[in-house]
Amino acid sequence: MRSISIRSKESEQSAILLGDDPEINVDIDGLSFSYKGADSDKNVLSDISLNIHGAQLVSILGPNGVGKSTFIHCLNKILDPTGGCVRINGTNVQDVSIKDLAKVMGYVPYTSTDNFPLSVTDTVLMGRHPHSKWGSLDDDLRIVHEMLQLIGIEDLAERNFNELSAGQHQKVMLARGLAQEPRILFLDEPTSNLDVRFQLEITRMLKRLSRQKNMLVIMISHDINIAAKYSDNIIMLHGGGIYALGKPQDVITPDNIRHVYEVGADVIMDRGRPHLILIDDDDTDYDDDHEYYVVEKVAVG
Amino acid sequence: MALLVDFIERYHSIAKRRSFFAIVFFIVAISFVVISLGFGTYKISMGEAFDALINHLTGNVVNAKDDLYVWDVRLPRAIGAAFVGAGLAIGGVVMQNLMQNPLAEPYTMGVSSGAFLGAVLSMISGFSIIPALSGDYAVVCNAFVFSLIPVALITVVSRFKKLSPTAIILLGIAVMYVFSSITQYMMVTAESESMASAYHWRVGSLSKVTWDNLPFLVVFVTATSAVLCACYKKLDIMYSGDRCAQTLGINTTFFRMFCLIIVSLMTAAVVSFTGTIGFIGLVGPHIARMFVGSKNKLLLPGAAAFGAAFLIIADTVAKVSGINGLPVGVISSMVGGPLFLYILIKKNKKVWN
Repeated sequence: MRSISIRSKESEQSAILLGDDPEINVDIDGLSFSYKGADSDKNVLSDISLNIHGAQLVSILGPNGVGKSTFIHCLNKILDPTGGCVRINGTNVQDVSIKDLAKVMGYVPYTSTDNFPLSVTDTVLMGRHPHSKWGSLDDDLRIVHEMLQLIGIEDLAERNFNELSAGQHQKVMLARGLAQEPRILFLDEPTSNLDVRFQLEITRMLKRLSRQKNMLVIMISHDINIAAKYSDNIIMLHGGGIYALGKPQDVITPDNIRHVYEVGADVIMDRGRPHLILIDDDDTDYDDDHEYYVVEKVAVG
Repeated sequence: MALLVDFIERYHSIAKRRSFFAIVFFIVAISFVVISLGFGTYKISMGEAFDALINHLTGNVVNAKDDLYVWDVRLPRAIGAAFVGAGLAIGGVVMQNLMQNPLAEPYTMGVSSGAFLGAVLSMISGFSIIPALSGDYAVVCNAFVFSLIPVALITVVSRFKKLSPTAIILLGIAVMYVFSSITQYMMVTAESESMASAYHWRVGSLSKVTWDNLPFLVVFVTATSAVLCACYKKLDIMYSGDRCAQTLGINTTFFRMFCLIIVSLMTAAVVSFTGTIGFIGLVGPHIARMFVGSKNKLLLPGAAAFGAAFLIIADTVAKVSGINGLPVGVISSMVGGPLFLYILIKKNKKVWN
């Protein structure tokens, strides 16, 4: 293992994160977070400790409002944890400047603002900002082109970002995150607006890239089956802490789903992966008058 | 599958096509600096005005009166118009970017209301922030210092509380109302004569720009614009929201405050000499955006060139309107509003949401 140099805080030089180190080790130690002004006794996240080792695809599951996004924002310094710390290969994230952090960590947000029109190419090009040097535009464009092809949106290159659909936005933001060439990529529900084909394609691609580019991919997901199908490991959050953690088949169980999401579920195994079938406990029968409710095609002419 | 070479080539050709418009605006601005010399209440033909300019530059003044009007009155005013227009347009672009709001403009922070209060304090109650000064100098100094109060306040508050763009805008509006109420109180209790001069000060006019104060204006606008233009990449990224910008390595809070201070300094300098010239800072960026796109590398110079050209033309029209000419603040909105509406309807491509 190559060494990582850490300079003292006083020298105003920030610690160098990861560098050429092929290993990735994220150590989360007693992480807590509460929003200012809110009831200070009530932590959104309290005392989360875990270790993520190796380039892999990790999914974070949990119901709405459980703190999945907050958790990710604590890892990439958008929010400052109120307790505990996050170390990456031994370096505390808090000691690293935002600028240096951006060289190793990418983030694909859930929503994207689109006030003004920038072309898709220019939007993806932003991902190169942390690495940008003078006169390297063509090099950056090469990487942008590669990512557009990877996601399959070269045809959108010259379109304006604000003219695109929600699914296309998501693909562009993903391309931007990848253009950043991070060692750790965070994604907030990256496939929520995509059709089934791209849900599969994009998630499979994220898994492949984690191997090819030696990249740790951490994504928030509401699609339990997609997460189960591709994730190497799953973190299930509940009540401000980790409820379950580990391989998909160990985490996606009927008991866990019932406890965390408060819905009934069956889990079957499909090609070695758990597959969830939701059960509606409410047995009201609405199928009373099939003849009455009609949607049909009308022949013209 | 599109080839990489084609991809890069197309990218550059789009940028070239767009920069063409910026160059056109720039040429129009330069030529109107010269053309405007022939217009004003003092009647002189374009040719004679041009001769007077050449004569002055070569050092043999033929007609002293022509020289006085062309060289001493009209040229500094035209150059002033160019720099004021360019500065306000750049300020508008930057504000709209930082605030992620198409309605933001250089005056959003309450700069103009601060300046007006400062000016009114000097004109009506004779108060001067620098006691040694009096008359016009006191007015300008007061206006400059007071126009920086809102941004100073916002800077102080932002040290204790994280301010979102919307919170900053609202803070600016709150300060503006407080300032306006003080100003209005002073106006209603003032003599009608000083009230008229105060009111006249407020309506933006370039007639106060002379060789004496032009260097100050030029240096201020150039220096602040240069700083803002150097940030073009970061400004692009500010479009995509604070969180995104942060994960791309930008300290958004610091960057926003830094730019706000620079924009306020520039706007303060402009307002102190010219009063409130509306429209250009708000709508100028949008018109420029239709021609050169939203990428700041082109938008900043494009908007600057457009702003310069537009304000010189508006001021030329203003000079020949009415018996003694009108203030440009009146004309810029009167001409600009319909122009903007026309472009808006004509060009149905989505420029902003």
